[in-house]
Amino acid sequence: MLTEKELQRYDRQIMLYGFGEEGQEKLKKAKVFIAGSGGLGSPIAIYLAAAGVGTIRIADHDEVELSNLNRQVLHWEEDIGGGKADSASSKLKKMNMDIRVESIARTITGANAARLVGDSDLIVDAMDNLPTRYLLNKTAVEKRIPFIHGAVYGFEGRAMTVIPGKSACLNCIYHGATAPSEKFPVIGTTPAVIGCIQAIEAIKYIVGIGELLTDRLLNFDALGMKFTEFKVKRDPACEHCGKL
Amino acid sequence: MSVEIELPSIFGRYTENKLNLKVGGKTVGECLKALFGQFPKLKELLLNKEGKLQRTYDIYINGESSYPREMTKPVRDGDKLNIVFIIYGG
Repeated sequence: MLTEKELQRYDRQIMLYGFGEEGQEKLKKAKVFIAGSGGLGSPIAIYLAAAGVGTIRIADHDEVELSNLNRQVLHWEEDIGGGKADSASSKLKKMNMDIRVESIARTITGANAARLVGDSDLIVDAMDNLPTRYLLNKTAVEKRIPFIHGAVYGFEGRAMTVIPGKSACLNCIYHGATAPSEKFPVIGTTPAVIGCIQAIEAIKYIVGIGELLTDRLLNFDALGMKFTEFKVKRDPACEHCGKL
Repeated sequence: MSVEIELPSIFGRYTENKLNLKVGGKTVGECLKALFGQFPKLKELLLNKEGKLQRTYDIYINGESSYPREMTKPVRDGDKLNIVFIIYGG
């Protein structure tokens, strides 16, 4: 049941065809796990908080550094040296006092990933390395919950939604390939675009509207200012989801 | 036989910012060989010592993955190849 304040706050999205109060109630009940609060995690968390997702669980083990601030808009100069998870959580709580924000200042590992994700309804990938992305993809497959992938490099970004057992997963398309985790170039607007795409995928899944970005890898090229879609498909031999 | 190759923007520094090129070839491998003829640095980036495509790259033919055995996949006149590198930043 939505409160009078919520009805006012979310009035413009409740107006959307297919959304309504029912959709808003679904958002209110939803629990979303956001892995990372950096360049991608910031816009994802901001827009999910603004949309009224009832519980946001955000995990990040890093501390805020000056060089983060060109893109990680949840963190400000006053936060430098502090933990990102708490920095993110404090901003999100100020943004929307009626939602629950849980901050996790832990490294996501194979030993704790399932526990950290807990009973979340979906995982949003805002990581900065491939190994943890694979780990989260696998965790999502095991829990049979969606995994909303995003990644950026320079002026390019990519996004894809995984519905375990129904659509291609991250391992289906990358086959376990890894890239060295080095300092990467990026302009803040690239993760802003990709993070917003991930946030709207999460909202669409929770509310149950629209067509998800499944079996399609969306590539954003900011320099050429174009989006390109690549068709992807499930790999029957995939080590993560092949048996589903 | 003319095949269009679209490169990721990070390759611009190696190709004088030319990201859309036309080459000749009957397979992905032949098209890449023609590409490397124009821009030799790309060969170092895309291929390993055995001449196979590095695992950090994918090649899509008309929007569909050419994995596995990418280099031998046939292409036709008018096809479009996208060279895509696996990005990991967040």
